[in-house]
This record gives sequence, C-alpha cells and structure tokens, in this order.
Amino acid sequence: MLTFQLSNVRFKHFLGGLSSVAITLLGLLALTFFIGRVMPIDPVLSVVGPDADNSTYEQVYQEMGLDKPLYMQYLYYLNDIAHGDFGNALLTGRPVIEDIARVFPATLELATIAIIFGIFIGIPLGVYAAVNKGRAVDHIIRVISLFGYSTPVFWVGMIGLIIFYAWLNVVGGSGRVDLAYDGFVDPVTGMLLIDSALAKDWDVFQSAIKHIILPAFILGLNAVSFITRMTRSFMLEQLSQEYILTAQVKGLPKHVVIWRHAFRNILVQLLTIITLSYGALLEGAVLIETVFAWPGFGQYLTSSLLLGDMNAVVASILLIGLIFISLNLLTDLLYQVFDPRTRK
Amino acid sequence: MNVSNLLKYCALSIAVSATIAPSANAITPDNQLVIGMSMDNLLSLDPASASGLDVVGVNSNLYDMLIELAPKEPSKISPAIAKTWTISEDGSRITFQLRDDVTFHSGNKLTAQDVAWSFQRVLKLNLALASTWKTYGFTADNVEQAIQAKDDYTVEITLPEKTDPKLVLYTLGSSPSAFIIDSKEVLKHEVKDDLGHAWLTTNAAGSGPFKLRDWRAKDRVLMNRYDDYWREPSEMSRIVMRHMTESQSLRLMLERGDIDIAMGMSIPDIEALKKDDNVRAEANIRGTLYYVAVSMKDPKFSNKKVREALRYLIDYKGINDSIMPNYGVLHQRPLKLGLDATLPELGYGLNVKKAKALLAEAGYPDGFKTSIRVLSQLPFINIATSVQSTLAQAGIDAEIITGTGNQVYGAMRERKFEMLVGRGGGGIEPHPHSSLRSLVYNPDNSDEAKLTNFQGWRTGFYSPEINTIIEKALLEKDTQKQIEMYQDVQNLYDTQIGAIFPISQMVDTVLLRSDVKHYEGHQAATTRLREVTKER
Repeated sequence: MLTFQLSNVRFKHFLGGLSSVAITLLGLLALTFFIGRVMPIDPVLSVVGPDADNSTYEQVYQEMGLDKPLYMQYLYYLNDIAHGDFGNALLTGRPVIEDIARVFPATLELATIAIIFGIFIGIPLGVYAAVNKGRAVDHIIRVISLFGYSTPVFWVGMIGLIIFYAWLNVVGGSGRVDLAYDGFVDPVTGMLLIDSALAKDWDVFQSAIKHIILPAFILGLNAVSFITRMTRSFMLEQLSQEYILTAQVKGLPKHVVIWRHAFRNILVQLLTIITLSYGALLEGAVLIETVFAWPGFGQYLTSSLLLGDMNAVVASILLIGLIFISLNLLTDLLYQVFDPRTRK
Repeated sequence: MNVSNLLKYCALSIAVSATIAPSANAITPDNQLVIGMSMDNLLSLDPASASGLDVVGVNSNLYDMLIELAPKEPSKISPAIAKTWTISEDGSRITFQLRDDVTFHSGNKLTAQDVAWSFQRVLKLNLALASTWKTYGFTADNVEQAIQAKDDYTVEITLPEKTDPKLVLYTLGSSPSAFIIDSKEVLKHEVKDDLGHAWLTTNAAGSGPFKLRDWRAKDRVLMNRYDDYWREPSEMSRIVMRHMTESQSLRLMLERGDIDIAMGMSIPDIEALKKDDNVRAEANIRGTLYYVAVSMKDPKFSNKKVREALRYLIDYKGINDSIMPNYGVLHQRPLKLGLDATLPELGYGLNVKKAKALLAEAGYPDGFKTSIRVLSQLPFINIATSVQSTLAQAGIDAEIITGTGNQVYGAMRERKFEMLVGRGGGGIEPHPHSSLRSLVYNPDNSDEAKLTNFQGWRTGFYSPEINTIIEKALLEKDTQKQIEMYQDVQNLYDTQIGAIFPISQMVDTVLLRSDVKHYEGHQAATTRLREVTKER
C-alpha cells in the first residue's frame, strides 16, 4: 500500500494557487460581462417579445439598467456580486444562483456516471491494448477508441435512442425519468438517483437509472476513448522501463508485474486525465442534454446565451471557470500527494 | 493480465445496465396527459407579460376568462366566468354579469373585483401584453375608470376610445392578458409595488381546471386537477408538459406511447407518424402569416416597380407545395383565412420575365445586391433560400443573414433591414382589424413615432388612404358595409403593393396518440385540456 503524509504537501504553493484563482475568475468575469454587453442580442426584446410597443420597451430597458453607461453597469454588477447577488435570470425570473443550483446537479449526475463508464471501460481497455501491443486486439481497441472519439455525440445519441429505446426497449427515452413519474420525488440534492433512493421511491429510482444509462454512456464515450488511448501510452512507457524487465526476469507472475508495478506507476498521470475529462464532461454535455431533453447546465447555458440573458451567462461561465481551476488545483495537489518527486 | 480478468472487469459495467434495465417501458397512465413540446418561448407565466403561444396553452388551463371563443369557429363567443354580457346602444360600454359559484385554487371566491383588478394590472404594469389594450385607448391612468366592478358580480368596461366592441370581446376571449387572477392571493406576494409580477412569473393564482404544481423553465410544467372546478372536473388528474426540442426524440416517444401529444415536430417525422395507426395528426390554422417583407426606407424598395417585380419573383406555389406542408397553406392576403371579409387568393406566381421587365422600368435592368434576414430554423430558412434563388433569376443578388428571433425581429423593429422572411401579424382576434392593425396600419411613419408594434411602421409602408378606411371600418356598425370596407383595404393594399408579401397562413400540426379524445386545438392557442379523455 502507498501511504502519504499530507503534511508533506506544500500548502503555501496551494494557497498561492488559490489567489491566482481569484484573479483568473475576476478576469473571466470582466471579459464575459463586456463581451455579453456588446453581443448583438437584445435582452429587452427577449423579455417584451417582438410585438411590444415602444413605451413598454423603454420601460423594461430602464428597469434592466441598460440606459446606464457600460462601466456603471459593470460596477453595479460587481457590487451586487460582492453581496452575493448574481441577479435574476430572464429565462426563469428567479435568482441565477438558484437556477444553477437546480440545473447543475442534473449535469453533475450525468457526468459522474459518464466518467465512471470512462474509468471502468477505458482503463482496462488501455492496459489490455498496451500489454498486447502490435497484436490484432491492440489495433481493434485503437480503432474503437478512435471511433468513439471522433463520432458526433449528437448522432450517436440519436442512434442509441433508436436501437436501445425504440427497438430493444432496454433503456428509457428522453428526460430524467418516465414522464409519468415527473415530479414524484422532491429535490433534495437535485440528483435524482440519490433523491429517489432517499425517498425510497424505487419505481422512480429504477426509472431514473433506465434514463441515465444511455446518455451517460454516450457522453462517456469520448472519455472512454481518451482514457483508453492515454492509459495505453502511459502503460507502454512503463512497460519499457528497466524495473519491469527486472521484475519479469525475477519471475514475478504477469498480472503482478502489470498491476502492482507498471499500473501503480501511472496512477498519478491517470488521475490527471480523469479529472480533466470530468471537467470536460461537465461543461460539454450540451448536445447530449438536447438530444435526451436532459434539463441540465448545458441546456441552461445555451438557452441563456440565445436569449442574451447575461446574468445567467456570466454566472454560468464563472462556474465553468471555477470548475476547471478547481480541478487543476486538485490535480496539482494530488500530484504532490502521490508523487514525492513533485514536492519541491 | 489475462483475458478472463479483463473480461470480468469490463463486464462489470455492462452487467450493471443489463440487470437494472426492466423489460418494458411504462405507457402513460390512464389519468395523466403527457405532452412533449418546445418551451423555448415560455419565459414567464404572468398573464401581464407572457406573450408566447406556448404560455397561452399553459395559462388557458390554469386560469379562466370572462368569455371563450370556440376552438374551430373563433368568432363564436360562449360564456365562461361571465354568464351574460350586454353592449350599450352607442357601443361604448360592455357590462358583464358573472357567475357566483367560482372559487380560485386558493379557496377565495372569484368576484368582479378580481376581474377589474386583473385587467387594470395589465395596463399598470405596462409589460408586453398591454400593447393590444393600449391600441384601444386604455392607459395606466384611465384604466381604473374604464374597467370597474359595479358590485360583486358585475363588471363594466367603458371604452376610452370609439372602437368596435366586438373586437374588444374577441380580445377578452383570446388574449393571453385576459386571464382572471386571484387578486387577494397575488397581493400577498407583492414586492415593491410590483402587483405580484415577480411571484406570478413562476407561480399561478387562477380558477382554471388545473392547478400549477411545478414549473421549471425549459424543463417541465406539472399541473394537477382542481377538484372544485366550477365546471365538471377534468378526467385527467395530472398534466405533464415536458420541454423537448428534438423532433426525432418526440417521434420515438410518441410511437412508444411514452407521451400522448407531441408539438413542434419536423415535417419528415410528422409525415412518418401519419402512417402509424396509433397516432393521429391534427392541423390547426393559426392567425399568423409567413411573409417576405421589405423595408421601404431602402430607396430600392420604396420604388413601387421594384416591389411589383418582387411580387413576381416569389415562387408561392413551389414554396407552399414543397416547404410548407404541415407548416402553412397558401395565402397571399394580409387578412387571415376564414374571416367573412377575406377576399379570394390573388393567384400571383413566379414570372421572371415580367419581373425583369419591371426591374428594367424601375432602373435596375441588371438587378441589385440586397440581403434577406431570416431565422436560422425551418421553415423560414428554406423559404429564404427559395426566394434567394428566384431573385437571382432576375439578377438580384441576395445575401442570406441568419439569426435568432431576437436578431431578426430586432433589426426589423429598428427599421434596419432590407428584406426579411418572417412570420407575424394576423393577430389573435377573429376580426379583420386585428390582422390589418398588425400588418398594414401605420398612422405615423416618422422614425420618432417608434410604432414598433405595427409591422406597417417597421417596413415603412405608409398609406393615409388605407389608414383612413381601417379607422372608419372599425367604427362601422353595419356589418355588410364593414366587410366591404375591409375588402377595399385588401384591394388597395394589392394595388399600392405593400411592403409585406404574405406567402402562407400558419398551420400548427399536433400529433396525438389515437386514444386521446376530445382534444381540440384552438386557433388562438387557448387550447383547453379540461375535456380530454383517454379511451383505452
């Protein structure tokens, strides 16, 4: 077993990372805000509709503070944020933070199941391909992973629905549960699998599993391919090292050499690519959410963009930034925990 | 690593799905109606601001109106909350006698005070749906005088300006602003004198056959039956509306019986489903028109000869035959189909030779360059492509600029466009004035007037002669004479060649499972689900 002392980790370095997070987020905030304000989408029109008369338009324009100079709007916005107020969304009329708290768990749930698929399928495939380098099976795995990486998610989603939902009837259709179960379980965590289990409503739980498997699997395909390819190349590098040859010469069983020696040494690298894939899944679920009518963060962000709903867009982009930065920091931390060489 | 280990490992994740996937999907329960539809325009449920057709469909089941218009015969008015109504001799006052047995979902009694408050609120808030009322002369200042509760069950509306009271009745029976709100309940949630606007955006306080259980933007609307409804309570105990934009997904779910009703599907999917015995299609003609519009602020299009040439450069038949099935039916008049005053079709068609001659006369023998703004969605983009290719035959090089509704209609509101393919006008009321006010009428063509709700102003089409007839016709009490005047307007619009070329009257095709009965799609989108049953 590997044991590590957290105290060995350089917390100063970590804290330095946190301050750079704040600066990065502020930059991101300013950039998104100003880009949003110069976009050729009129948020007032989204509120009043195309047929409203001018007096209504002017009234809403002023209510939204758009008559003020851009820098003033930004200062007001910063002031509100400093007080924890990200404003209300045009789309829902509710505070943006509440909206995000509602839609994000749906995406989190989807991406988490997707990354689990990615890990449990990608890693063994990658290891297997590396161990059998150059053989037919290696080529097959590489072709499959190339296919998984390059096929449009939207198309695979549609085909998946036709085969597994319409023909074989083994998974659910669009949405997070069968529509007739919609609203049966009150949200606690926002993740339906957990909420329905907490409520002990096993019909909803079963329906939720049926509905999440296909979109999560298809969303996870990219991650599977990425993880497979990376695992293969990490393993190949390890397998060519001298210590592996030594172990083999010592007569250790093959599985011990592969799993205890080689695989253990690629764990840190794997952690990095898994966290990065996870971040990409959280942010990149837009198309899958559209195909499967999954009411998640991706759909929310897209709809907000099309409406010119800048409160929602800025807050969403900040969240994405935060996720990526946090995952990077986490990776950094994990490196230091697991790999003594990176502790300076 | 041996193969069997790997297989065991890989099989783990597959086994998970295999063991938990039950063999059959649930068909929708007998007492629930499940609807798949796009909720893209569903931004608010507040009857003062929610203007999209989707929201009308939702609110029509949460709220009641004073009167209702028949689904297929919208000029037929039937009583609802108002038992009877009378119009004064001079047509300036309408008095409604209300039912006394109606309670809101909160348990409060519905009274005339609620009715007056609901209508006054629309004007006081001055949000999207105040526009129609303002065209009748109602303002935030005069509305308390104009709309009054005379006693608990009598409401009197005094028209601030002379107009056709029938038109006002039609608005009361079809406008999304005409829902009656529980004033006591809403005022409990008032914030900063907003008359409950923030609260009503996501909540409802009506007396309709269904109570709002949950609305999540771009996700779902859940409604439960209101057991104390003043009519027979609905057979459906729950309505589930789900935001679904993917036509293929809608089709699969409808085929499988996971949804009962699907709206907003693509044409290939509609056509495919028409062959399915378990599904039936219902086409509803809507009030709006698909059109090609030009801006007469552009010197080229202010030239009547150029507009006349354009009239011959649109392949009306080709567009309607190949692009519009299930979206619309051929129509070339600014007045919508089905009204007594609507004249027969004009029979214009593609005639490149004639168009070229007209362009030469106008001083453009080699055509010109222009742009067509259009929504990047079907069928708009296909209409624009067709128009682009037929314009090219006469040497007109039109660049297509796609965008969202916001961008396309935003440019039109600012009168900053050249050509545009769009949909609009028609109005919801089954009255010629409703169509003409929206598409043709333009009392002041100056930029400062900013009559952005009139498409006549947006396109810069200004005809004092037509304006006068429209104004006079509205006050004409002799029905036959009024019809003739509206026919005159159509003929004049044709000879003066307006800036909007209607192509097709909008059709909305809804797909239903065959066992869903008594669903009647409403022309004004106020589709009421209270009588829907399932016969299995």
